[in-house]
Amino acid sequence: MKKVYGSIILDTAFRYLIPFILLYGVYVLLHGEYSPGGGFQAGAILGIAFVLDGLVQGKKAILRITGETAVIIAGIGTFLYCFVGILSMLSGGNFLEYSLLPIPMNDVEKHVWGILGIETGVCICVMFTIIAIFYALVGKEE
Amino acid sequence: MSGLMLIAILLVIMIITSVLALFLKDLLAAIILFSVFSYFAVLIYLALGSPDVAFTEAVIGVISTTYFITTLRKLKRGSS
Repeated sequence: MKKVYGSIILDTAFRYLIPFILLYGVYVLLHGEYSPGGGFQAGAILGIAFVLDGLVQGKKAILRITGETAVIIAGIGTFLYCFVGILSMLSGGNFLEYSLLPIPMNDVEKHVWGILGIETGVCICVMFTIIAIFYALVGKEE
Repeated sequence: MSGLMLIAILLVIMIITSVLALFLKDLLAAIILFSVFSYFAVLIYLALGSPDVAFTEAVIGVISTTYFITTLRKLKRGSS
């Protein structure tokens, strides 16, 4: 971007806001079982943190992950989802049949960790897709 | 009954904001009105008793507003 959005007010507010946004995103991801939220919302909130960084600080943003890198990391998130599903297929179950995951735990714990695994995958995919769309919109105007 | 009245009022406000956003010449004002529309959609989802959908709508409303404003900067049209 030619003109960066940042002014001293935005810069200071940004410094205080970003840690709380990131923490709230992780909270929504990990606590999604008991309260509204889950992978998609957590990914969107974490994505907002990165997009805010790109808006306020422009080219010298700390959390700057642009274009193809973001798309590749989003692909890794999708892979994580499929990996948990196929891991349970390899041990003789259906796709995403958590009780057959090959980890040494009881049934309930297997369900918890399996669901957390796919939610993390969804979260990473949504987050970096949002970042990729944002940097595609900002473009190469710099 | 009062719940239905609340939802009816919110729906009317949503219709007004969306029609205004369609006919405004100022693009930035239209974007902000769209974000207001999204906010009242959140309130309706809450009144209908689905906080999960409301949460998603709130987050997506913020993201779409950001996208629109970023695109508006590239258009170099600003407030016409």
